[in-house]
Amino acid sequence: MTTGTEAGLGNLFGQGLLLAGRNIRLNSTADTISTMVVFPVIFVFGFLALFGNLLEARGIVYAQFLPPAIVVQWMFSVAITAAFCFASDRRNGMLARYRSLAISRGAVVVGRMAADSVRALLAIAVIIATGYVAGFRFQAGLPAALGFVALSVGFALTVSAGTSALGLVSRDPEAVSATLHVVYLPLLMISSAFVPADAFPGWIEPFVRHQPVTAVLDALRALAGGGPTAGPVLTAVAWLAGLLAVFSAAAVQAFRRAT
Amino acid sequence: MYGGGVEVEHLRKVFGRKTAVEDVSFTVEPGAVVGLLGPNGAGKTTVVNCLSTLVPLDGGRASVAGHDVAGDPAGVRASIALTGQFAAVDGVLTGRQNLVLFGRLLKLDRRAAAARAEELLTAFGLGEAADKPVASYSGGMRRRLDLAASLVVKRPVIFLDEPTTGLDPAGRQEMWEIVSGLREEGATLLLTTQYLEEADRLADRIVLIDHGRVIAEGTPGELKKRVGGQVCEVRAEPREQVLRTLRERFGDVVESGGTVTVRGADSETLAEVVAVLREACVEADDIQLRRPTLDEVFFVLTGRAPARRTGEEARS
Repeated sequence: MTTGTEAGLGNLFGQGLLLAGRNIRLNSTADTISTMVVFPVIFVFGFLALFGNLLEARGIVYAQFLPPAIVVQWMFSVAITAAFCFASDRRNGMLARYRSLAISRGAVVVGRMAADSVRALLAIAVIIATGYVAGFRFQAGLPAALGFVALSVGFALTVSAGTSALGLVSRDPEAVSATLHVVYLPLLMISSAFVPADAFPGWIEPFVRHQPVTAVLDALRALAGGGPTAGPVLTAVAWLAGLLAVFSAAAVQAFRRAT
Repeated sequence: MYGGGVEVEHLRKVFGRKTAVEDVSFTVEPGAVVGLLGPNGAGKTTVVNCLSTLVPLDGGRASVAGHDVAGDPAGVRASIALTGQFAAVDGVLTGRQNLVLFGRLLKLDRRAAAARAEELLTAFGLGEAADKPVASYSGGMRRRLDLAASLVVKRPVIFLDEPTTGLDPAGRQEMWEIVSGLREEGATLLLTTQYLEEADRLADRIVLIDHGRVIAEGTPGELKKRVGGQVCEVRAEPREQVLRTLRERFGDVVESGGTVTVRGADSETLAEVVAVLREACVEADDIQLRRPTLDEVFFVLTGRAPARRTGEEARS
């Protein structure tokens, strides 16, 4: 006999949204403004000042090239925050408490994903607005622009599933965050984020061209700048679908064992 | 309002190669308070985690309020209030916000959640601090809020995992009064503790566990009888003379760490000790009557000192 009132989509989303609100409230306003507003603005203008002229000489309009890279960087940051939060929820017993309550089993996950999406959308809005000031433009119409936003959030949630799996097996948020920075920084640096793939030394160029971060960046640039979009977007979506399958399986396993 | 108990039969839980709990059986009758007493790492938290459906059982069976832990975990969760070892409340939020959130999660509407939060804040002495961030609370206030959070919706069975560990004496006293209140309301309570005094004060029955096994069970009175009542501690010099003098008069006298201890003592023993020492012209630095410690209970029941481990293992 099974009793209780945990099942149902109403519970999943109702309780998920309550937990999303809680997750968002845990980040102080001051912290959110510095990490989600001030830093991205500094990064956009900083990189433009550093590399703008240099890449102009190679025929690249850097104000158009750069914002997708900063978006991807901030999507990583959203995902690392998710892992940090899961690890600290586990350390201080919040996760055990939620799991002992008669609430939907998936509500904690929905709450995390919804909070991550809100943070991702905030970062995207700030970066694109800053980009527009610097000269970035969506040149392929509204559907492509919405595709840009959707792909960015999808990337954030996919990476978040992977980082959360790590966060859920740890009780040490600082160590999780440090580890993930060591993983993500090289992946971002050795991609077409800040300079085009052909600017890398020949021996590493194949990796740069074929790694998933580059695939997502190529798709985002195609969606923003026009030109053929189907190929790059399909490649990016295929990467994300594959990664999501692996990451979410790991995250679900970790979630079931986390006390 | 309350009803239903806890039944545990041959519970077994293994983590990797380590057997955390082996063949643990006990019953908490509806409306009773049972204390699961044992040192750090004994398996107390693992038992509670199994009963609250947080970790699956590896053997045996258990039921809570009539719901099988393995077969109907959702039914179990709808019947329990769990207060874990750590004060699991959000420091950034206020006490009130914490309680309202739990109320809303458990499907109270806004008004009902606010009303219940107010009621609990007042009852648990947190009225004045209700709208301050929990990060500014003392350890005792946090623990009280933590307990309040698990009681937002009334449940027939309450699990309290080391409710006073880490609290100062005043905080411990306040927590004891709250738990006694729950007991008077008729809650079925399973509490874990490392302190004999706490189990003695709060529990109807004590289940003593060590290394994941039950080593004794009974009412506090029954267990204390097996330990032999209280002990009388004497600090005096010359120690050999004191030991000899007291052994002539009392049956069970031991010496360790500069202290001579008469076991199986009561207030008459204390008076006798004072008289005997005066006769022998020994001036004592300190004589006191106290309850046996958990170490002494263990020593008597197992013939060895209790396991000493780090707190880390107790959580897994």
